[in-house]
Amino acid sequence: MPTSAAQTAQRLAQDAGGRYDRVIRPAQAIFGAPIVALNLIGDEFQYTVAAVGIRTGATPVDQAICRTTVTQQGVFEVHDLRDDARFKDLPLVAEPPRLRYYAGVPLRTQAGQTVGALCILDFVPRELGRSQREMLADLGTLLEREMAVQEEMAKAGEVQQRLLPRTAPDIPGVEIAGRVVPYRDAGGDFFDWQVVDGDDGGRRLQVVLSDVMGKGLAAALIASVVRAALRTHSRYTGLADAVQRTAETTAPDLESNERFVTMWAARIDPVTGAVQYVDAGHGLAVIVSPTSVRRLVQDHLPLGMPIADTWTMAEDVLAYGERIVIVSDGVFDVFPDDESAMAAVQMTADPDTTNAEMVDTIVAYASDHGSTDDVTAIVISRTSGGAGASTGTNGQEG
Amino acid sequence: MELTENDQGRYVVLAPAGRLNLVSAPTLQTRIGELVAGGQARVVVDLSGVEFIDSSGLGALIGGLKVARQAGGDLRVAGAGTQITAVLQLTNLNRLLAPAATAEEAAAAW
Repeated sequence: MPTSAAQTAQRLAQDAGGRYDRVIRPAQAIFGAPIVALNLIGDEFQYTVAAVGIRTGATPVDQAICRTTVTQQGVFEVHDLRDDARFKDLPLVAEPPRLRYYAGVPLRTQAGQTVGALCILDFVPRELGRSQREMLADLGTLLEREMAVQEEMAKAGEVQQRLLPRTAPDIPGVEIAGRVVPYRDAGGDFFDWQVVDGDDGGRRLQVVLSDVMGKGLAAALIASVVRAALRTHSRYTGLADAVQRTAETTAPDLESNERFVTMWAARIDPVTGAVQYVDAGHGLAVIVSPTSVRRLVQDHLPLGMPIADTWTMAEDVLAYGERIVIVSDGVFDVFPDDESAMAAVQMTADPDTTNAEMVDTIVAYASDHGSTDDVTAIVISRTSGGAGASTGTNGQEG
Repeated sequence: MELTENDQGRYVVLAPAGRLNLVSAPTLQTRIGELVAGGQARVVVDLSGVEFIDSSGLGALIGGLKVARQAGGDLRVAGAGTQITAVLQLTNLNRLLAPAATAEEAAAAW
């Protein structure tokens, strides 16, 4: 179902933050008006997302002058609101602050939906000169561009979220939860899981957490390339070979973009608990229980280095009651050193805590402690018999 | 970020100060590229004034290492603090960028 202009306006309002303030403030200076506002028109409410002279927030849409502006082409001006039958009985006009003057310019999205207006208000009647009308229209265009950027970034973030596992892997005996919170709308962290065939014909859960150098949309594009390459190779070959081939497949793209990628990937046998893993310069994976912690690390380089490396596997066993925890360096960064990071991870490994709760605790901790990077965590454990009641969650709040 | 440069003749010491991240990394990498293009392919990056490095900062060092080696030289690092040492260990990049205690020590073999 297509999104209505009001729905688009509501979404833009929700994610606006302070990004429009820097257009609103100069507008006030240019027009010498006591009130300047960016209003987005939803179904029931008008959302004032940036303003000087009035409060930001939601007001009933039937009291909004900008609701009329969005039906207009170009600048809409009312020299004296008291003389206009459409507006003279509105609370803002009939009661304090008793507004007299309004000028607004409708704002359109890239898709052509009119979602709101930039408006100026005054307590005395006035009239814009020709150049002032043009300036108001120009500021409107500036805001439309800013809205387009916001929309593009939000859409890119949505695509990236949909490239994460959305359902539990179809394999009994293991339970897994993962979550990534990009620092901006999109980022260079990703995780993935898939069920693959093991050497003995049995099925394995393959899990990967990867971190592309840098942040934002550019890193997210590279992350998509790496994810697709690993996913494809993993269907046809063993783990170490799949990582090796992924490194070779992506090498030209990583080199031309001067990016490197850390990766931690594993295959887990749900029947025996055997874990095969490859650590390509990631270094942030452990097996924890309430009484123990051991790191699953190797000394391989990340992908995309200027010298050749060969990625081999290491092995461990995941016992019942233990969990594999993999995090990105956005988590690591909020701790002073490895030991305190490991100790903190272990503290979350309470037997009564679910994997999804552990993931949420770790991610929330890093975000709350001022991580300035993408933050990702995966937790895996074995379940005793029956199908694993697995959960995959993800989110993207700041 | 401030970038101090000290030409020792046989090699150049670049000393960035502050945070070596997404914002400041290109400054360092660009300067390394200029030095190498100008015929000075032996570069020591003195990290003693760097309080924090992120993946983009590491990328600048690796990128610098690459152009230096392609020109027959090398890039070495010195004076890495706790956070930088931890990140180099974690990513195994200390295999390529083993930090020396001081710039003089890093350049000892040149």
